Amino acid sequence: MSRELTNRVFSTATWFAAGLCGLVLFFMFAIITWNGIRAINFEFLFAASRNFGAAGGIFYQIIGSLLLILFAALICLPLALGTAIFKSEYLHNARVQKLCAILVYGLNGVPSVIFGIFGLIFFVNVLQTGVSWFVGSIILAIMMLPTVVLAAYHAINSVPEIYRESASALGLNRWQVIVKVLLPQATSGAISGLFLGLARAIGETAPIMFIATAFSGIDIPGSFLDPVTSLPTHILALAQQAVDARALENAWGASLVLISLVTVFSTLGLWGRMKLKTSSLR
Amino acid sequence: MKNNIHKSMKNLATLTLDSLFLILVFSCSRTASVQVAGSTTVLPVVSKAAEQFRVKHADVNIIVNAGGSGVGINQLAERKIDLGMASRDITQIELTNYPEVDFVTHTIGRDAVVPVVSSEVFDSGVQALTLAQIGKIYLGEIRNWQEAGGPEREILVVDKEQSRGTRHVFMQVVLGDKVAAAPGADLVLGSNNEEQTAIAQSDAAIGMLSNAWINKDVRGLSIIMPDGSLVQPELANIANGSFPITRALLLISNGPPRGDVRTFIDFVLSEEGQTIVEEAGYVRLK
Amino acid sequence: MSASSRIGKGYVVGSTFLSAAMILVIILFLLMNSWDAIRQTGLQLFTSEWNPAQDKFGILPMICGSVAITAIAIAIALPLGIATAIFTSEVLPAGLRLYVKSLLELLAGIPSIIYGLIGVVFLSVWVEQAFDLQSGRTVFTGGLLLAVMVLPTIVTLSDDALHHVPQKYREAAKSLGFYNYEVIRNAVLPIAKPDIIGAALLGLGRVLGETMAVMLVVGSIDRIPEPFYNVFVPGQTLTSKLGREIAETAFGSLHFSAMIFMGLILLVFVLLVTTISLTYFYNPEDRLYE
Repeated sequence: MSRELTNRVFSTATWFAAGLCGLVLFFMFAIITWNGIRAINFEFLFAASRNFGAAGGIFYQIIGSLLLILFAALICLPLALGTAIFKSEYLHNARVQKLCAILVYGLNGVPSVIFGIFGLIFFVNVLQTGVSWFVGSIILAIMMLPTVVLAAYHAINSVPEIYRESASALGLNRWQVIVKVLLPQATSGAISGLFLGLARAIGETAPIMFIATAFSGIDIPGSFLDPVTSLPTHILALAQQAVDARALENAWGASLVLISLVTVFSTLGLWGRMKLKTSSLR
Repeated sequence: MKNNIHKSMKNLATLTLDSLFLILVFSCSRTASVQVAGSTTVLPVVSKAAEQFRVKHADVNIIVNAGGSGVGINQLAERKIDLGMASRDITQIELTNYPEVDFVTHTIGRDAVVPVVSSEVFDSGVQALTLAQIGKIYLGEIRNWQEAGGPEREILVVDKEQSRGTRHVFMQVVLGDKVAAAPGADLVLGSNNEEQTAIAQSDAAIGMLSNAWINKDVRGLSIIMPDGSLVQPELANIANGSFPITRALLLISNGPPRGDVRTFIDFVLSEEGQTIVEEAGYVRLK
Repeated sequence: MSASSRIGKGYVVGSTFLSAAMILVIILFLLMNSWDAIRQTGLQLFTSEWNPAQDKFGILPMICGSVAITAIAIAIALPLGIATAIFTSEVLPAGLRLYVKSLLELLAGIPSIIYGLIGVVFLSVWVEQAFDLQSGRTVFTGGLLLAVMVLPTIVTLSDDALHHVPQKYREAAKSLGFYNYEVIRNAVLPIAKPDIIGAALLGLGRVLGETMAVMLVVGSIDRIPEPFYNVFVPGQTLTSKLGREIAETAFGSLHFSAMIFMGLILLVFVLLVTTISLTYFYNPEDRLYE
């Protein structure tokens, strides 16, 4: 084959691959949006679900999902900030740093179902918490920990050394430097990472389906030890009755709402990340 | 080391629990709750009953979860829930697993497990089978609908997860062992809903479903009895026991039911509750 | 050291310890809880019959299913993803690239349960019709679904890898009179290769551990296909087995223990892949989080 022909074949192939890829992904989006929009109306968003989710809405599923990730965020943030500060300000031994990185970022690789199983063993069975939304929040917090640590760590690292030095020169001790100079920066970074983490956490089913959610009968949990209903587990229940047109319609509706929430969180996260990038370039 | 982690995790958990509790005070209008989980066959009844129960007892939440009979029995025994739903009896293994648990069963209605087929198969002539034929299909000895009087099409044999109540009852009658292996199976699914969906999506499937899940896409087969008579899957035949695969729908409590659990069981057994059982497609108690 | 300093240091040390220990705690708990199965069932765990009623806990069908699905997904997603990445990084105008990248990130965030829904409603039906199968719930369907799911991730990461190759290499190659194709093959790809391998491994880890989408479309039968390379039949993966069966096993029973053992095997597989990727190919601290 002549070089020119090869080149042409190659370039056609990349166009083709990109086209196919775009088509598939566009199809995904179109299907969810098209089917979802038809299901969504005021009642769907603000009514409780009835009849196995085939009737009524998804109000309490939305509340449940938000509750789960709100507390996941509250648990995750302080932990991630502490870890990021320690890693960047106290930990100087390269080997320990590498080890620490592998352990923390390794969590990112742990399959989501494993988090669910760990929660089932440790909280539900060993600590005897029973099926509880709060346990779900803890597990989701652990799951998104690496993302948030990484974001906070980047933010701290982007603080120029001169800030630290001038703060020390002003007579601030090490911890005061951390609190006054690094923490604000770290927090804003961590929060953008947090949004990315939440975008993933809110869509997760496997970590919470054994330990935190119920099928029906719960609206707003009365205590920390009650289960909740959530969007992903609701979609799971509806997906299993996919031949029932009403159930399927509601499944698409719930999916679109879930994707919208995911999109809101990832956009906030990406936006924060972009801002961070530009500010660290300055 | 392990102990330390254990301890510090526990401390952290309680610490966060305590501090966060204050934040959540607003939503703590402390309602009592009864947690129910298990069989997807019993689920529609309990779900519906829970909705109506709530109207009268606004202060009690009945939290309902699916999972299957096995889940219901296990979680009850492990005290994760207050009431288990089951569409089969408790097995010997389960009883020996939990010697300290006092399982008390409450029958709330009756149901049949019906061999079902895709509507295409039904319409092309397979409307009744003998138990032996069904058994052979699940054992993999009959593989084509032609051998059972149907079209020339390979059978899609849909099985259920092993601890499911529907499967126990079905296999007990068809193969004589409630945990019998089914080497002929092609798919293994879980809930009634999921099984119904797969059979409706196929044009050559056979499966086992609760009587209440039969519809125009998923048709129930009549059973050809040894004497040659036909028994149709109908409520009357389930009620008088002539349909060969019937079962009791159970709620199971740990010890004699007390308090809200007792009130709820009583509600399901009341006239109002029994109407729900009937509306769900099951046979009410007399 | 002042009191606030001490408390502060305690806090950061404590949280680091907790964060770093978490993964060890998880492994430890899986190990402890699968110990019964390892001790009592031993090598019988690696046989092909799973029947809890008879205390038979062979997990080979699940391992085969996981391997098969992962292989299919990566075999489809990797070439397609890399080719697409070449397009976004080398062909697409820089202005558009940013939009495409953001879109890809959003697509990468679609929750797996929604892929499961699409799999049940569309993909399994299509596969059934296209290949004239008895049932569309097959190993292949699972692999195809996961290929679509992991595609945005592979494209973004490979695109980053290609984009990080300094412009001067391209210019040098071009000045030698190379065609575009030759520039990419001889100058860009070799430099980006480690990062692309890292992307592939990361995608592989994700596919291996994916539960919800697989669980709904794979057919869930604990059987090694015959012949073993026949992917157009139902199967089971480690994750789908766990998702379906863990809740109905009694805590502390041999059945439970065998299930946890499967979880442990899965975790070991995935961690192995991730660690290789983290150690040799891919350092998350070089990039802004994925």
